[in-house]
Amino acid sequence: MKSDRKPVPGASVDTTRRGLVAAAGVATVAAGFPAIVRAQPKSVNVGVIQPLSGANAQFGINSRNGIELVADEINAAGGIAGLGGAKINLIVADGTSTPTTAANVAQRMISQNQVVAILGAFASSLSIAISEVTERRGIPLLTMSFADQLTERGFKNVFRVVSKASTIGRAQFDDALAIAKAAGETVTKAAIMYEDTAYGTSQAKGLRDAAQKAGVELVMDDAYPLGITDVTPLITKLRNSGAQMVFPVSYLNDSLLIIRTMRQQQIDIPAIGGAAGYVIPDFVKGLGEFSNDVLSVSPANYDRVPELTDRFRERFGYFMVHEALEHAVCMGVLAEAMDISKSADPAKVRETFYQERFDKGWSTAMTGAVKFDETGQNTLAKPVMVQWQDGELRTVWPKELAMAPARWKGKPISI
Amino acid sequence: MELIQALVNGLLIGGVYAVISIGLTLVFGVMSIINFAQAEFLMLGMFIAFFCWQYLGLDPMIGALVAFVVVFALGMLVERGLIERVIGAPDVAQIFLTVGLLIVLENAALLAFGSDYRSVRVPYQTQAVQFAGLIIGVPYLLAFVVSLVAGVLLWAFMRFTWLGQAMRATAQDSAAALSLGMDVRRIRQIAFGLGVAMTALGGAVILPYFTASPTVGAQFVVLMFTAVVLGGLGNVLGAVIGGLAVGVIQTLSTLVLPIQLQNLVLFIVFILVLALRPEGLLRQK
Repeated sequence: MKSDRKPVPGASVDTTRRGLVAAAGVATVAAGFPAIVRAQPKSVNVGVIQPLSGANAQFGINSRNGIELVADEINAAGGIAGLGGAKINLIVADGTSTPTTAANVAQRMISQNQVVAILGAFASSLSIAISEVTERRGIPLLTMSFADQLTERGFKNVFRVVSKASTIGRAQFDDALAIAKAAGETVTKAAIMYEDTAYGTSQAKGLRDAAQKAGVELVMDDAYPLGITDVTPLITKLRNSGAQMVFPVSYLNDSLLIIRTMRQQQIDIPAIGGAAGYVIPDFVKGLGEFSNDVLSVSPANYDRVPELTDRFRERFGYFMVHEALEHAVCMGVLAEAMDISKSADPAKVRETFYQERFDKGWSTAMTGAVKFDETGQNTLAKPVMVQWQDGELRTVWPKELAMAPARWKGKPISI
Repeated sequence: MELIQALVNGLLIGGVYAVISIGLTLVFGVMSIINFAQAEFLMLGMFIAFFCWQYLGLDPMIGALVAFVVVFALGMLVERGLIERVIGAPDVAQIFLTVGLLIVLENAALLAFGSDYRSVRVPYQTQAVQFAGLIIGVPYLLAFVVSLVAGVLLWAFMRFTWLGQAMRATAQDSAAALSLGMDVRRIRQIAFGLGVAMTALGGAVILPYFTASPTVGAQFVVLMFTAVVLGGLGNVLGAVIGGLAVGVIQTLSTLVLPIQLQNLVLFIVFILVLALRPEGLLRQK
């Protein structure tokens, strides 16, 4: 814990107008209830539900790390000014990897801890389960889960900072096509291969739709069982298919197998992963130089805001993976909303989410700002294309967000 | 051409299934115990080879030897401490013990190693040899060769050494072996150690193309049992044939059917064998 838990008297922290108003407010209250104020500046409970055990544990831990980093930074800088310097008190709970448990945890958290909002919970299935509870209890849920339906059920308390799955799937295809075009290659044939899970199938559907719209023929469209022991047949098929690029959608084990087997068979067509196994530090750990030039779609990337994300790397020893980054944005947006509304009341904070544009501190980490529409979807979110270049993930597309030139078949593309 | 390529791929991966399955069938043959925890020793073998690579810089093929030795010793201890107590006990007791061992080993690994996937990085991982139009991945080839060598050595051991012959004698009739002055207790202990060590070796050699994780055993346990039952429980040569058959069926089926269905074909063959030749492909009635 790096956070500074020493009480800081809220009324004297800053001299902004907001701070003065807050100070006046505190002073008024203090006149009435001197004992309370002198005892301890109040803190705000923020609920964090993540899969800290089970199949998604690694992602849950990354997400928690991102949130903790932001909360500790805000606390160290004097808490939330709009609330008279109140500290953020994270209530972290393990949502496991089962939706029913996650819902129960949310229920308990709301009854017992009076949280202003809940942040979570990486996996779409968990977030959907939690959102039913938060909707009923009128507590805002800030999330970075992809599933389209999260913001499509008319809920009033769900706020998503990233693009939805269908948008990400479309971007995976369209951006890859655009990069190929910029490299001077006209793609007419593509291949997709995906694990036969909910995630794999839904993303494959997005790819298929985009391919159809772009008039690109899918010469291979294969699902394979999760935990496959030998991908050689798949890669042999890929080689014979004449595809000019391949979209593998898989978790780590399969992604390593697929890239290695492609290299064994000397297939040099570009591979464009579907996030998950393709954008984590273990990918480069497992592949080394062979990770070079592998592309992947990602809802956000750390290299766009090194001044923020380097602090994560410093503290936790690995680059700020996208789920950590997006959860940090959730925390940043929540802090900003409380600061603006000067309230830790869930209903007031929710209204602020709908009204304001958030563009300070960690809220800027994705595309500079966050603005929610009436469904709770961040309208400023935009998926990016990232590429492994010498052990780092670089944002290479779209042009206006790119941090490094994209490489296609080993050659950098000049834009 | 495609057919031959698929056949070769199937044999290469089947060779590893074979060496993994030999361990299971050996334990059953000598001790008449079905070891449900067998695949967890594959997981242990993977982790031992992984740590040998990470901390000592040893190639997994050499790490496989370390895994063999360490798991052999561990297997001897487990046999003396746990398995021995249920020899001749009702099936239920044996099942509970080995399934319990499975759960304990898997969760102990989760506790000790975390749920991360771990992968080694070796230079030949992305290399392939081209031969008469065939492409053969070097990691698959190496894993196959090491498995083959281990299998042949085991065969020679069982065939030509006194201990190996005693093991076979115990498998055939433990009472008779005992009456002839063989230390059946010690023989069983060694057989169990050898059985789990073979499986651990099989786990170690696939490390260049498969990531290690505490739950990896689950992905192999069904394949392992299929191979063993195909060849006839307790039959070492049968396990080899069964292992190769599993690999070949898996890859050949992908020529005509989507890869998603590769295990479906495998299990159809499996059910047919159970129905038509319940004693296994090799065993004579």
